[in-house]
Amino acid sequence: MSSRSFASSAAAEPAHTAPADPFRLGGRTFTSRLLLGTGKFRDFTVMRAALEASGTQIVTVAVRRVELNAPGHAGLLDAVDWDRYQLLPNTAGCRTADEAVRVARLARAATGTNWVKLEVIPDARHLLPDPVGTLRAAETLAADGFTVLPYVQADAVLARALEAAGCAAVMPLASPIGTGRGLRAPELLRTVLDGAQVPIIVDAGLGVPSDAAQALELGADAALLNTAVAEARDPERMAYAFALGVQAGRAAFLAGRMLPRDHASPSSPPEGAVRLPDPEVPDPEGPL
Amino acid sequence: MNGAAHPHRPHLTLHALLRDLNIDPARVAVAVNDDFYPGAQAPDRPLEEDDVIEIVRIIGGG
Repeated sequence: MSSRSFASSAAAEPAHTAPADPFRLGGRTFTSRLLLGTGKFRDFTVMRAALEASGTQIVTVAVRRVELNAPGHAGLLDAVDWDRYQLLPNTAGCRTADEAVRVARLARAATGTNWVKLEVIPDARHLLPDPVGTLRAAETLAADGFTVLPYVQADAVLARALEAAGCAAVMPLASPIGTGRGLRAPELLRTVLDGAQVPIIVDAGLGVPSDAAQALELGADAALLNTAVAEARDPERMAYAFALGVQAGRAAFLAGRMLPRDHASPSSPPEGAVRLPDPEVPDPEGPL
Repeated sequence: MNGAAHPHRPHLTLHALLRDLNIDPARVAVAVNDDFYPGAQAPDRPLEEDDVIEIVRIIGGG
């Protein structure tokens, strides 16, 4: 399947959800609830095809010191039509609040956007965020006019504090960055979702589209991921699959799930079932 | 500069530093101490010996 056919399929959300169910974030309105990162792709061509196939409208990028002898991913700003996407620079690599604030300000200077995916991560092994440093940086950046989207653990108390600090959303992780292990603590995500006043975007650890679907079924407003697409055998196709997963989860949330039961409940009426006498199977309607 | 000492010559300005390093100002952001600029809008001011310069660019990330 060509990238064009993926893109048109992903972008064309079902008529009964698309216009009536806008995703509002940071004063803007989006139709896609999938945010996609640009790291780890083997080249720009693959990355562009994945962005297209995902239908995403919000794209994350990183900020790094220029390396005079190592071009790395130089040229990203030229490789993508940024008029089509809301740029979301991150503060990945920052270990303290002060580092994150500095990188956010550099990102704003580099891109012209005041949106920032705030990461304060002192722990390189598990890439788990520092809640205190994240809140401190969020307060500073929100007061400085940034649209702050903080990456945090699924902690309802912290989420409320970040809302109060003026964050535009809260982004709890599903599992640690890059693990692809899916939603490890759905009960904790429920507590973050309960009473949230800003969009909740599940960020990090999603491995397959059903992980994203699960997050949105629970009521998350959107999902952000990178590795699951970039490291797929076919990133373009996986990006398309995630677009469907997010749409399915959102539609299921809006539709309202059935209540789980402890015991089975037949879907077909039990009355009038055709039965033959069988000594092995007692007839519940028969004589005692 | 960028976390390491950089040789400083008299009358070096910010623009001259970028030229010396062969960096296109339009593709970077620059911090001079606590002042932040799009590279192309950075003032061409003389640099002091103890100025802290940060020059960054956007790359792929998640």
